[in-house]
Amino acid sequence: MADVPDAIVLKRDRDLEGRENDVWVRRVLMALVAAIPVVALFNVFGQRPDTHTLVGPAASLKIYAPARLRAGLLYEARFHVTARQELKDAYLVLGPGWAEGMSINTIEPSPVSEASNAGRLSLELGHLPAGQSYILFMQFQVNPTNVAFGRRQTVWLTDGKTRLLTFSRDITIFP
Amino acid sequence: MDIAVRGIALFLFVFLLTRVIGRRELSTLQPFDLILLIVLGDLIQQGLTQDDYSVTGAVIAVSTIAALQVLTSYVSFRFRWARRILDGEPLVLVQAGRVIEKNLRRERMTVEDVAEKARASQIASLEDVQWAVFEPSGAISFIPKQ
Repeated sequence: MADVPDAIVLKRDRDLEGRENDVWVRRVLMALVAAIPVVALFNVFGQRPDTHTLVGPAASLKIYAPARLRAGLLYEARFHVTARQELKDAYLVLGPGWAEGMSINTIEPSPVSEASNAGRLSLELGHLPAGQSYILFMQFQVNPTNVAFGRRQTVWLTDGKTRLLTFSRDITIFP
Repeated sequence: MDIAVRGIALFLFVFLLTRVIGRRELSTLQPFDLILLIVLGDLIQQGLTQDDYSVTGAVIAVSTIAALQVLTSYVSFRFRWARRILDGEPLVLVQAGRVIEKNLRRERMTVEDVAEKARASQIASLEDVQWAVFEPSGAISFIPKQ
C-alpha cells in the first residue's frame, strides 16, 4: 500500500510544486474581504449623516443628512433654517435628486404648502421673524432598486422669489 | 433584471468567500458555524430579493443561482485549470505515518485536528496512516497502512 493514491501527484499535492503562491493569493483575497467592514467603519458605504452649514446675510441653513446611502435604507434629512433677518415667506426648495427613487415617508412639521417649482419640490415654511429657527425633518427610504453614483442634491432657501442660499452636493447610493 | 444581477454578484462573492476562507473552516461545522451559516443565508436573501415578495422574483433568484452553479460545475468539469481554481486541489497531510507540518500550516491545521479526524475514521494513531489527504471538499481521506 505504499503506492501513491490515484490522482495524487506528489510533486504538486505533497511538495506543493507550482502551488507555492496559491496560499498568498488566498491570503490577499481574504485580506480584501476583511477590509470591507474596516472600510465600512469609515462611512465609505454610508449611512452616517454629514452636516453642512451655509450662512448668508439674511439666513443660515444647516443640513444634516447622509450623502452615502444603500438601497432600502431609512434615513432622515434635517434642515435647520435660522432667520438672521425677517423672512416674510420662506421656502425650502429641494432639487429632484432628493426625491428620485426615494420614498418620502413624512415631512414634519408639515409645510404651509407644497408645490412643484420647475421640477423641484417647493416647501413653503412661511413667515420667520428675525432670530427665529425652523427645523424641518424629512424621513426618507431609499427604494430598493435605486442605485446612484454622483446624483446631484440641491437645496435652495428663498424668501418669496428671492434666492438666499444654495447648497449642492452629490450623493452615492450603493446597490 | 435587478434580481438576476444581484444574484450573480452575490453568487460570485459567496463563491469567492468559500474559496478564500479555507477548507478547514468549511469542513468543521461546529454549532456556532452552523448558526453563522444560517445567518449568512438570511443576510444574502435580504440583499438578493430585498422587498420583492413575488413568486416571479423568487423564481428569478433561484434560477440565477442554479444556472451559475451548473455553469461553474461545467467549467470545472471541462477545464482542468479551472478545476484547480474553482474546486481546489488535494493536499497530502500524512505520508507513511509522518505528518507533513508545512502542509498542515498552510491549511491552519494542527496535528491534533488530523488525529481527531483519524479517530473518527477508526484510526487510533497517525503512525498507522499511510496516506492522509485533505480533499477539495474539506474532508480528510485516510488510507491506513497494510
